[in-house]
Formats: sequence, C-alpha cells, structure tokens
Amino acid sequence: MSDISNAKPIQRAQRGGRGLTPEQRARRKFVQITTGIVVLCVVFLIAFAAQTANPNGAFIVLMGTAFGYVLQRSRFCFTASLRDPVLTGGTDLTKAVIIALALASVMFMAIDISRFGMGLENLDLSKTAGFVRPVGFHTAFGGFIFGIGAVIAGGCASGTLMRMGEGFAQQWVAFAFFVVGSILGGFVLRFFQAVPLLYGKTSVFIPSAVGGWIPAIILQFGALLALFVLADWWGKRKAGLR
Amino acid sequence: MSDLTKQKTNYWEFFLKREWSYTTGAVLLAVLAAVLVVVTGVAWGVTGPFANWGGLALEAIGIDADSWVIFNGSLAKYSLWKDQTGMLDLGIVLGALVSCLLAASFKFKKIKGWRQVAAACSGGILMGIGARLSLGCNIGAFFSGLTAFSLHGWVFGIFIFIGAAVGSRLLKKWFM
Repeated sequence: MSDISNAKPIQRAQRGGRGLTPEQRARRKFVQITTGIVVLCVVFLIAFAAQTANPNGAFIVLMGTAFGYVLQRSRFCFTASLRDPVLTGGTDLTKAVIIALALASVMFMAIDISRFGMGLENLDLSKTAGFVRPVGFHTAFGGFIFGIGAVIAGGCASGTLMRMGEGFAQQWVAFAFFVVGSILGGFVLRFFQAVPLLYGKTSVFIPSAVGGWIPAIILQFGALLALFVLADWWGKRKAGLR
Repeated sequence: MSDLTKQKTNYWEFFLKREWSYTTGAVLLAVLAAVLVVVTGVAWGVTGPFANWGGLALEAIGIDADSWVIFNGSLAKYSLWKDQTGMLDLGIVLGALVSCLLAASFKFKKIKGWRQVAAACSGGILMGIGARLSLGCNIGAFFSGLTAFSLHGWVFGIFIFIGAAVGSRLLKKWFM
C-alpha cells in the first residue's frame, strides 16, 4: 500500500513533463520492477490453478503470457501493419508480419506433411495445423468491417488485449464493446448462414485445390515474397517522397 | 533497493528494458504459434470466447442469455480453464503488463475526450461483428488461417487491408 501512495507524486511530476529527479526515477523503476515480479508470480499461480482442470492448462497460460510479452516488447501490431502503408507509408511492420506469416507457414506445412505425408489422400482437415474454415462472402465482409473497426479502435484483437495490459483505458472500453459486438455478430452470422449467397459452406485448403503441396508451396510463398517486395518498394518510395 | 536501482552493469537495460525489433517479434510469434499447435493441437486464436464472456456477464446480471439461439445452453457448460483461447487471452494481457512493468515503462493512459470513447465503442462493435462473421479475427482467421494454407485466411487478409484503408480515412475525418 505504501508503494502506491508514494508513487503518486512521481506520476504527477512525470505528467508535468521533465520534472523527474533521478531519485524519483529510481524509485519508480524499483516500484515497477517489484510489481512486475509480483504479477509474474500471479501468472504462475494462475498456471497452477489451470493445471488442476486442464492437462495443458499451465502450458497454455504461460504460452499466452509469452505471446503478450513478445507482442509488447516488439510493439507488434497487426492493425498498424495494415494501416501504416496507407496512413504514413511506413511498411517496416508490414514486412515483419509477412516474415511471421512465411515462417509460420513453413512450420505448419512441416507439421501437416509429417502427419499426413506429401500425398493429400489421408488428409483430415480438422487435424491440420492452423485453422481451415469456410470461405465466402461472409469472410470478405467480415474482414472489411473488422479492418475498419481495428483502425478506429486503435488495435486489433491481439493489439487490444496487449494495450489493456499496457494500461490504455481506451482499449478497456474497446474490449467491452468488442464483447458486445461478438454477441451481435453471433446473430448476424446466423442470418448470413441462412442465406446461401452470403455464406459459403466450403473450406478451401489450397494444396487440395491446386493439386498438391508443390504448386501450393509455389503459390503461397510466391505470393508472400511478392507482397514483401511490394511492401519494401512502397516503403522506400514513400520515404523518398517525404 | 539502492543496489538494484543504481547498479552500473546494466543487465536490466539489456534484457528487460531494450525494445525488440519487429523482425525479432515476428520470428518469436511464429515459433510460439508452431509450438502451441504441436503441443495442444489447436492453433492460436483470440476472439472465440468473447461472446461467451458477454453472455456470462449478462447471466450475472440476471438476463437469461443461455437460452438465446447463439448460446443454446453452452454458457452453463463453459469453463475458462478448459478454454485454450480464453486462457491465452488472459495470458496476453498479463504478459504485456509484465513486460511493461519489468521495463519500468508502465503508465496508466487515461481516455482523452469523447472522441476516443466513440472510437473505442464503434471500433469495438465493428470488430466484434466482423470477427464472428469471418469465423476469426486477425489471429484466428488471418495469422492461423493464411498460414494453414486456407483460402479464407488470404481472403480475410485482403479485406482487412481494404477495411483498414477505409478506416484510416474515417479516423482522419472523425476521430482525429
């Protein structure tokens, strides 16, 4: 408790601008690091509790924490990666997202091939790595309004959760309305599913659609490479114009 | 305390304070995503449990949401500990908090004005509806879909990009 009351003038001094004495800075650092260690201990307690109910519980809690830590440390934001090329012309994050997609594709492909072999005859779509889900107008329309919402709210799904942890009050509000939207969306989805034109029922697994892994690999990585080159060119062009 | 805060050999600066590059983040996220799939068999998602949480909140204030068609009794059976996506979400919030605190850069950021509230409300609702319609968010449908060689991941990615371009214009016009 005493930590909190002592931290108050420090925050006020900081809001005022540069008026932070070295002692205040050291104190702030000590309070924050100590709190950080306490929160980390809470994470381990939650992991223990989760383990009692779920054989993978502790692992999942720690994986989530690792995702949050990595996202925050590298300021990784999917929304910014899609928004910045249009808004500022910056494509550094866009290129990083493409790298993440390419790497994860390689690993998911390796997992699939090790499970089902190079042939596609034994393939079980529900057991492939990652999610293969129905594609249709609902995907395009959902993506379109998701993109608008993410830019306006200042964070996509992972970005909103990350900023909640960083202390942004705006993202706590956004999260509450994300939940409201999810319930509304449940009803909208049911409406879409009743209309064949709006909802495609078929999942398209690219290797099955183009006749094997080899053409799929060429298409997938060719497209990602083309996007990377395009993003690089766009970023340099915009930087040159500025 | 003084030993911790005034030391000159700055391991803290090196391990906890320094920001990572986007590429470092990209590589680590891809590795974590693959490890998760190998161990649990289920890929990374984020928004799946959001509707359930909203339903449980409604139940808590006495509204019988469980009887609605979209839940149909699933709320009574819901358990956070058995919900991989829900636990990952909780972890993301805590992980980001730990990361800020250990770097001594945590700061509570208040909402500045009604524009931010309006932006958070409208953006949140749009994302919620969008994520349900496309059966996933930027993680579940895009990051875990495109990389699974599924066409829906590519379609979703292309259309969030178009949506983000439109959203940028709206943001400049109304919310900035």
